[in-house]
Amino acid sequence: MKRINVLILKIISPVLAIVVAAFLSSLVILSIGKNPLEVFYTMFRFSFRRLDSVAIIFYNSTPLIFSGLAVSIGFRMGLFNIGIEGQYLIGTFLAALAGFSLKGIPAVIHIPLVILSGIIGGMLWAYLPVYLKIKRGVHEVISTIMLNYISYSLIHFLISEVFLDRSQKLLIRTPKLLSTALIPKLHGLLALFGVNLPKHVYLNWFFPLGILLAFAVYYMLYYTPFGFELRCVGQNPDASRTAGINPEKVFYKGFLLSGAIAGLVGLSDLMGYFGYMDLDFPRGYGFDGIAVALIGQNSPFGIIAASILFGFLKRGAEGIQTLLNVPMDTIVILQALMILSIVVINKVMNDYIRRIERKGVA
Amino acid sequence: MFLIELIASSLRMAVPIILTAIGAVYTERAGVVNIGLEGMMIVGSFWGALGSYYFGPYVGFLFAMAAGAFLALIHAIATVTFRVDQIVSGVALNILAYGSSRFLSQAFFKMATTTPHVNGLFKLKIPLLGETSPVIILALILVPVAGYILEKTVFGLRLRSVGENPLAADTLGINVFKMKYAGVIISGVLAGLAGAYLALEHTGMYVEGMTQGKGYIALAAMIFGNWTPKGALWASLLFGFAESLSFRVVQNAVIPYQFIKMIPYVLTLAVLAGVVRKSTPPAADGVPYERGTK
Repeated sequence: MKRINVLILKIISPVLAIVVAAFLSSLVILSIGKNPLEVFYTMFRFSFRRLDSVAIIFYNSTPLIFSGLAVSIGFRMGLFNIGIEGQYLIGTFLAALAGFSLKGIPAVIHIPLVILSGIIGGMLWAYLPVYLKIKRGVHEVISTIMLNYISYSLIHFLISEVFLDRSQKLLIRTPKLLSTALIPKLHGLLALFGVNLPKHVYLNWFFPLGILLAFAVYYMLYYTPFGFELRCVGQNPDASRTAGINPEKVFYKGFLLSGAIAGLVGLSDLMGYFGYMDLDFPRGYGFDGIAVALIGQNSPFGIIAASILFGFLKRGAEGIQTLLNVPMDTIVILQALMILSIVVINKVMNDYIRRIERKGVA
Repeated sequence: MFLIELIASSLRMAVPIILTAIGAVYTERAGVVNIGLEGMMIVGSFWGALGSYYFGPYVGFLFAMAAGAFLALIHAIATVTFRVDQIVSGVALNILAYGSSRFLSQAFFKMATTTPHVNGLFKLKIPLLGETSPVIILALILVPVAGYILEKTVFGLRLRSVGENPLAADTLGINVFKMKYAGVIISGVLAGLAGAYLALEHTGMYVEGMTQGKGYIALAAMIFGNWTPKGALWASLLFGFAESLSFRVVQNAVIPYQFIKMIPYVLTLAVLAGVVRKSTPPAADGVPYERGTK
């Protein structure tokens, strides 16, 4: 009985949250004198009518899979890593550094080295907040937010003062990554199955890598001792301590793991699209990751689904802006409302199930 | 002269932090953590500019406070009535504030990130400080007023009791939920006011990202000030001082300005790392209250 309830909760609440959020955003759309039904219809039509558009949705979802997984690992142990934002910017920068400075190595070695640099950057930026939390009692939410702001300035400094591409006259950006550091697109693989993507699609190997990572995180959570400890600490740190688990140790390891995954967030854009890092490098994936993790109910597979949903929203937003002149920030509002609805709905349903169970016992 | 000017500019920089930090004292004393203050400041700055653009600065301030209160109401409904995670709700509200301001800015002004120039309030002429916004005076008055309300009035006592021990307060017949709503909404009004100050009095327009994390810094100031308005005032002045000092250093340009820009955030981290262990939050801060549970 309980298992079924949990399953219902896991599937129905996100769906309900999406519906509620869509309804509330409709009011916002109405307020600027547009027809919400037309807006949603345009989003779907624009996104799914063509194959390349569907591939773009997968490309859009790639960073969010990593970001969502990184956030969810924090949630699982009861910590809130809002610092994904800073962690991936630092990770992306270190990856770019490895990408343009290491010369004369073949791609098979260069690509893993670039990815590793991203991971190290993310872990580096995740170390300070967890250290401050355990040693000095600083709440990780405030410290990670402060580190986000610090990373913005630091990246700005590194790109515009230290590693500026001097061959460029007008643009402020790092030198270009060497061709050995760029991630191949998925076109070759898909062509084997008779799917031919046009050139302007940048879907690359980070997408399957993200899905593989989701499987790995699932395995880690449910089939390894560390995953067990992580979930225990998230449920009840005090009881875990009594059971012989050291919560501080788990926090350290878990937060660094979260940071490591965060370090991968920007790499699909860096190695698969831009090929350099500039001051306009996409921001906000860290916050999207929070929404993705919540909609995905912190389950690795739920996170994949939620990422694809958000990838679709981003694609659809481009459609409504171009075709209907509705600001694409509509989807930011939609996402925020989704976060609020999902937590409220989860809470209400949880309480409801608990009440039924209590009645059953009595 | 330089010193007086530095103090005056510190005060101007500190005002939004002071106002928001006082608000933070109210909400946290009622036991609700409000990380959405940043977002409430954002909507305050946007709606303040919008109101002032169409109807003048007074309406601008009203709009700003109403917008802040509206977001705060959502926070209260989510966290007090539905008892959802207070941090998650706050983060969602910050995203909502960012998205809705961009959306409306686009819809009203055809620009996502700025509004046209808007008018501020009349200026007071005060010796030493020069032309001074009345909001600065208001902020300084609100500090002792908030202290008095929290410490000496029945309302303040009830508010604090709800943050310390909601079960006991409930037993004594205090409406726990009403008190928590009051605390959260007061914080939203003050954060909205702070946002309007930034847009109308400080910059003369709304610019996206103009709050620059001041809502979070205000939370740190409140913690540094040990959950009291007076303490929050001194902490806010410290942050204001750091910020105004950074402008002076930029003019000399010895250190790259990106590092100067980090000062308020590094200071926040340092302050929390050094001081937070000595201070004591309200006993039931951040814990949702549910009737019928221990």
